[in-house]
Amino acid sequence: MAEEYDVEFIERGDRSARFLVRGVTPAFANGIRRAMIADVPTLSVDSVRVIENSSVMFDEQIAHRLGMVPLTTPEGEFEEGDVVTLSIDVKGPSTAYSGDLVSGDSVVEPADDNIPIIDLKDDQRLELEAEAVLDSGKSHAKHQGGVAVGYRHLQYVDVVGDAAEFEEQEPNILRGVIEERAAEHAEGNAVNGDLVPTEEFDNDLTNRYPGKEVEVNDVSNAFVFDVETDGSLTVEELVSRAVGSLEDRATELREAVQL
Amino acid sequence: MMVPVRCFTCGNVVGEHWEEFKARAREGDEDPEAVLDDLGVERHCCRRMIVSHKDLVDIVSPYQ
Repeated sequence: MAEEYDVEFIERGDRSARFLVRGVTPAFANGIRRAMIADVPTLSVDSVRVIENSSVMFDEQIAHRLGMVPLTTPEGEFEEGDVVTLSIDVKGPSTAYSGDLVSGDSVVEPADDNIPIIDLKDDQRLELEAEAVLDSGKSHAKHQGGVAVGYRHLQYVDVVGDAAEFEEQEPNILRGVIEERAAEHAEGNAVNGDLVPTEEFDNDLTNRYPGKEVEVNDVSNAFVFDVETDGSLTVEELVSRAVGSLEDRATELREAVQL
Repeated sequence: MMVPVRCFTCGNVVGEHWEEFKARAREGDEDPEAVLDDLGVERHCCRRMIVSHKDLVDIVSPYQ
């Protein structure tokens, strides 16, 4: 892709963000979304050696719970198939938390420390070693870095006329982000070109353009992405690794079909 | 038995919020809706994971 594209953040946090990308085709936008879900590898517990488990849960249930715990996955440190060993040793009466996992590698640790694994009563004990492997969301959902990743078109609102007089206006619900192009009709101090999340006017266009008849249109090739991560990586890392994996595959394809 | 670690539908980690939710809304007298909003459990798929949960470890432990 020779042409530039433009990224603008609307909301930005470590684990959730919303950003606008201009100048990409719908196919490419969907490619990024799919790469974020299925192609960005993260570490997850995959096999467990149980030394002692006298809790009320079966070994398999505990192994499953450990698998779901997100582990921080620094970029470039690991390759697919690499193994990191974590261990846990908790004696009852107390609760074993994800934070009790002791990692063999200081850069890999549970992203959240207070996920309860199992509640232990008197004389119960949990001791085990777990092996975390790097794999992608394609092979198991526990390796998915992105959670609820989606996008929708950036939209703009055209004021096409006045609403019928003496008639109560029906709510006109819209979700997503709009690009202001009719600032002279909008409530408050709106400026053309503003990016307005619909939550700002309670998702109801009649609050923003009272007494007006409006039409909603898509801005072509502009997409608003909603990205959340499970904590194993930040939103920025997730998106850049997803785009990187797309690029790698495109390069591979180009080399494969070259004469 | 124990709270699910993640939301079944979207995969968001919800287990970490259970103990605070239990203390504030089940044992305390706060409004569960307000507590979930406060904890940042936004989607209704994640909310049902917490609202519909019941701890069973204390109930099954005598029958080990």
